[in-house]
Formats: sequence, C-alpha cells, structure tokens
Amino acid sequence: MGLKIVVMIKQVPDSQEVVIDPVTFTLNRSAARNVINPADENAIEAALRIKDKLPDTHITVITMGPPFAETALLDAMARGVDDGLLVSDRAFAGADTYPTGLTLAATITKIGDVDMIFAGEESTDSSTGHVGPGVAEFLGIEQASYTSNSWIEDGYVYAERELEDGIETVKMKPPSLITVVTNANVPRNATLRMKIDAIRKGIKTWTLADIELKPEWVGLKGSPTVVKSMRTMNEKKREGKKFKAGEMDKFVDELVSKGILKL
Amino acid sequence: MSEFDVIVVGAGPAGASAAIKLASAKVNVLLVDRADPPGSKNVSGGVLWGDSLTQVAPDWEKGPVERYVEAKGVSFLTKDSRISLDFRSKKFGEYKSGYTVLRTKFDAWLAKKAKDSGVMLVSGVTVDKIAMKDGKAVGVEQGGETITSDAVILAEGANSRIAYDSGLKRKPTDRNTALGVKEIIKLPEKTITERFGLTSPKMGFASEFVLGFLEGGVRAGGFLYTNKESLSIGAVISMAELRKNNKTYSFNVIEQFKEHPFVAPLLEGGRVEEYSAHLVPEGGISADSLNGNGYMIAGDAAGFTFSNGLVLQGMNYAIVSGIVAAESFLEKKEKGIQAGANFANYTENLSKTFVMKDMMNFKGIDKLTWSKYVHQTLPSIAEEAMLNMFSENGQPKKHLYKILTKSMSSHEESKLGMAMELLKMLRRM
Amino acid sequence: MKIEERLSLLNYKIDKSYEHITVNPSICETCPDHFCTFACPAKCYSLIDGTLNFKYEDCVECGTCDLACSHGSVAWTNTKGGHGVKYKFG
Repeated sequence: MGLKIVVMIKQVPDSQEVVIDPVTFTLNRSAARNVINPADENAIEAALRIKDKLPDTHITVITMGPPFAETALLDAMARGVDDGLLVSDRAFAGADTYPTGLTLAATITKIGDVDMIFAGEESTDSSTGHVGPGVAEFLGIEQASYTSNSWIEDGYVYAERELEDGIETVKMKPPSLITVVTNANVPRNATLRMKIDAIRKGIKTWTLADIELKPEWVGLKGSPTVVKSMRTMNEKKREGKKFKAGEMDKFVDELVSKGILKL
Repeated sequence: MSEFDVIVVGAGPAGASAAIKLASAKVNVLLVDRADPPGSKNVSGGVLWGDSLTQVAPDWEKGPVERYVEAKGVSFLTKDSRISLDFRSKKFGEYKSGYTVLRTKFDAWLAKKAKDSGVMLVSGVTVDKIAMKDGKAVGVEQGGETITSDAVILAEGANSRIAYDSGLKRKPTDRNTALGVKEIIKLPEKTITERFGLTSPKMGFASEFVLGFLEGGVRAGGFLYTNKESLSIGAVISMAELRKNNKTYSFNVIEQFKEHPFVAPLLEGGRVEEYSAHLVPEGGISADSLNGNGYMIAGDAAGFTFSNGLVLQGMNYAIVSGIVAAESFLEKKEKGIQAGANFANYTENLSKTFVMKDMMNFKGIDKLTWSKYVHQTLPSIAEEAMLNMFSENGQPKKHLYKILTKSMSSHEESKLGMAMELLKMLRRM
Repeated sequence: MKIEERLSLLNYKIDKSYEHITVNPSICETCPDHFCTFACPAKCYSLIDGTLNFKYEDCVECGTCDLACSHGSVAWTNTKGGHGVKYKFG
C-alpha cells in the first residue's frame, strides 16, 4: 500500500480581475472569473512531485465549495491527481475559517489513513492562512507552514520552511500537514489525454451527512467571527526626502528631531 | 476504432457551431480550446451579422449579445474633416442586421452551449499538431500522445499555428493579413444611447471608417461599435503599408484614430477597460485546400472574412462554415465513412452558400479597399467638394458637377482615370 | 494613452517555465529594419542602445511578429496550458 495524500484547494476570484470600486473603495469580485487559488496550484504540484518519486502514492484533491468548484477539481485531476472530492452543502454557506477547517478535517478523517496533507499557504481572497494549520489542529497532527520543498525519507516527512532569516528544515512523523508558499514550484500543465480521462472519471461529491458533523458546527452558525465594522485606509502622504550615503548623521538627527527615533 | 468521431480544434464561433451541430446528431465530439476559460483569447471588432447561429443555438439572441444594430455608418476621415454616411432604419426589424458582441463572454456562452448539448469540452490545452498517418488526418497530437478521431475540424482562428505546423497552410503574406488593434471604452448605458442618438438602450450603432489622415501615410480602417455599457473601437492596419512606413508603431494608430477631432467627442468621459490585438485574414481563402483526408478547415483559419470597406464581417462566415463542416461529416457518416475519408463534399457544400460565393465574387477586393485611391484621393476630393458645397462665402452657387470636377482637378491623377477608378470600385463592391 | 498603461489593464497567466516565442539575437543584430518593433501591438520588441530586446510576458498572442519578421529570427508557438493573455471582453 502506497502513501495516501490529500490536497486541500479553493476556488477564488482571479485577483487580477478583482477591481476596487473607485467610489466606494470596496472590492468588486463579481467582475472576476474563478481560478484555483495560486498557492494551491503549488500545493498540488508539491504532492505530485512526491507521487513522481513514489508512483503508488494515491492523491485525493478536496475542496469545500459550491458545485461549480468542480472545474478546479477536474483541473487538478488532469495534472495527475487520482481523485477529486467536492464537499458541498447549503449548510456550509457563510463559514469563516474555523468551521471550514473543521469541515475539511472531518472530510479527511472520513477518507481515512491519510499520510500527508497539503494546502496552499493562504488564499488570495481572504489571506488569513488559518485553514491549513486549523485542519492540523483539529486532527491533532504535526504541521509545517510556509514550505517551499518537501519529501519523504525513511518513513518521515521532511519540509523546508521559508523563514525571514533563512530556511528551516523540519522532520515530522506522518500523518502531517504542510502548507506551501506561492511560487514554491512551477506547476505542471495538464495534457489533453489526462483532461479527457478526468472528465470521464468525474468527481465525487459529499454533503454534510457524509462527514457526520452537526449542522450547528458548520457554516455561518459554526463561525465565531463577528465583523464589527469595516473601513478603508487612506494613503499617508510621505515627505519623500532623500539622504545620500555619508549623510547618516544628518538622517539620524532628522529622525530624532521629529521624535521618530529616541536615542 | 477511433476514440472520437470528430475532434474540433478551437472553440470560437466556427468550432462551437460545428460541435453543437454534430452533438445534436448524436455524434461523439471533442471540442478543444487552448484558452481557459474558452473565449478568453478571442477578439473581433464586434458585430455578429445575420442570424446563421439560429441553426445551432435558436436562443442566441437572448444570450450575451450587446445591442442590435439599427444604425450603420461609414465615414472617411481626413485630418480636419469627417464625411459620413449614416443609415438608420426601423426596417432593420424585418431586414436582419446584427448584434454587437464581446467575444470573451459570447464565446464562453457558446462553448457552454456545446457542452450542454453533449460535446466533451476541454479548455486550457494546446493541441500541437494534427496527427497524420499515411497522408490522412487520424486525430490530434498533444504532449506526445495521439487522441484519435474519424475526422478533425480545424477552427483555430487567424493565427493558424496548427495548420502551419501540420503543413496545411502557408503563412500569410502582408497582403493576406491585417493587424487589428482594439480598445474597450467604458461608458454609462444611458450616455451611449443618447450620444449616438439611438432609439433605445437595446439598439446600437456600428460604423466603419477610412482613416485617411494617418501619420506617414499608413493605411488603416477604423471601427466603432456600441455595446451595452462600452464602446468597441479599433483600427485594422495594413501590414504592407506599416512595413513600407517602418516608423509608425501599430499601437499608436488607434490612438491617432481616437484623437481625431470628430471621433474624440464620441469617446469623451470614457475609461479604457481593455486593450487587445488580433490578426485579420484578408483577400479570401488562405488555406491551401479547405479539406483533405480526414480534415476540414473552417472560420478564420480558412480565411473566411469579408471586407469591402463598407462592411466588415467574419463571425457569420465562421458559423456557416462550421455548420457546413458538421453537415459534411454527417453526410459521409450516413454512407458509412472510414476514418480519414476525404471531405471534398465540404468544399462542394460550401460553394452553395454565401460563404464561398462571396469569397469568389469579391476575390481581390482587398486591392481596392487598401488602395491609395480609397485612403487618400477619394477622402480629400470629398472633403473639398463638401467644403465648397456647404460653405457660404457670398459667391454665386455652382452646380454639383462643377464642384466635383474642380475638386478632382486639384489632384495629380487625370479626371478620367479617377472616374474609371470610381466606376471600378462601385462594380466591385 | 501609453501602451504600457494599456497593457497594464490586461490579465496574464504568465508561464514561468516556457517562453512561447524566441528570437535569434545573431539575426536581429544585423537586421536592417527591425520592423518587429513597429509591428508588435504589445511592444514586446524594443531597441535598447541599438540591440533588440524581446520580452514574451506582455505578448497578446496575435502572431504579428512572426509575419512581420522577414529574416527568420522569430520562432513562434502557441502558449501552453491556458497560459498567456486572458481577455475579459475580447
């Protein structure tokens, strides 16, 4: 029996097409078409690279979303993922990152015997980065976030985390969860053969009943987030002063005089 | 046995129409487009003339069309003037004109229509080549694998890489191609309706222009079409003249058009939303042969576009050619075709339609539409004549004939020569 | 409106692993006309200090440069995997 991997993805409005309304300054998402969240494409590729080395690995790509998220799952399957699973139910609507993580964790539990879970570092439409780590916490497994590379060696999962001051390599016992940074790798293209095969195979769909969670734990009801108010930030006018090299003393004096720096 | 009955390459109007026609006859069709979503690499000026699409998509007028053309214009622009014919008619109800469309939305809708009618639609994959075996097309090649079919309908558009790479078409010369550059300019629906004097927000204006004032004598035609909440404006530039000039940037030609004193006010207050460019086939059929063993070529890839300066069409030709390709396959299938059969019946069937008749009757018209006569001589004569006719300077009035001959005599060409050109033009148009 | 500004309105899915158009610098070096710099509607070709500079990222995939270059320098292929320009209106 080979490795069993789950990749969690999300369909998001194409960030290049989300426009900011010039009057209200709110995001207009309706003009944007949906794409696979960019970091999730890197997560799919990271999983496929493990399968490249260990061909009897089985990868399932999952997403919680509306029925049209099928496109994203088929796309992943056409790149080499074995199965696509859509977790879709009206009860999931309005979920914040907490019940989303719970729903996905329950789905993974139901799939069973999963060795590795991949996810993108964060989604471009909300940028919280909560869901991946949240799933690991719900499942009570080890995790490595913001990774650029990962592999399996002697039965352990290794991952390289991109930190501000360098790269940290972590060794984890499976099952473990990895979130992948955007541009960690170059995702492969689907072939026509695989696109055809994916369409013929189709995806599986699970509802709330399949993952055995209570209705009050998911969707809006299960979401602790309360949005109190929203406002747009005004751009701060900068002075744009320039100091030449060798004027460090002048620069420091200026900062001190303005109370920005305290000596 | 082949995996598919037919593989259609390209989900534009030609390919999607062919696929729908085939699927509705229970034929097993694969429709492949290299864009994801389909339609997102397709560009055209923007009027779908006629109602040929009704044959495959009866409800298309309820689809994502923009405005119905009730006003059609043709204008000559000189540096200081605009001379226009502006035809508006309530009779554009019984006489079909066309709808302005935005191709990304429209083609995506049509591709979905194909999918819903049973076509297997694959987008975001680029077919490398037509797979040939013993001189017969047996499917398509992609990523080193062959997907087999009894027939291939190639509808990949004006930039026909697969046809070039499969040896089915030579690259066009400067004469056989023009460069279309376009912008989408956002304006409120109400502003458009009012500014163009339209009778309702559902009605539209479509006009072609001869841009006789361009820097360095570059020759280009212009177009301006009204969408619901935007204008489609563009220039179709002669490659031959652009090359001869070799100092005008193609992307600046459209700006010269937009800045013309009698075009700029039409765009006022608008915001540019998109910029695009696309090749436009010119001068008729461009494929070496429209059909061969196991394949047919349809739409822009075959060179099916029509332009005589007054009228600029392509999508209707694409749709009809796609439908005829599908019908030609069905005809062969009824007779129990073998994979790779020769589809000579496609060319025969097409020759019974306006597509082929127009290609034949108007062969060589591009020589006229791109001539110096149309782009420089005629506009300047007209400008001079109009100024003489419509100005009042306290002198006795002259007969129109006198005005015209006087305007003509200020040009180097002989009057007789010009009269002959005009006659030739009227006959060929 | 500057061409750079117009191009910035476009949505591209850039293929980092495949340049769908390549040029042959040794041919461009001796080119007498550099018509590509005038023909390309996306200003992918420009002369910088007399040397031809090409960038594929801004390409709108019209195919003009392939026909414009009469010296055989341009090798043109379709973008792959849905990469490249992604129009909203077309």
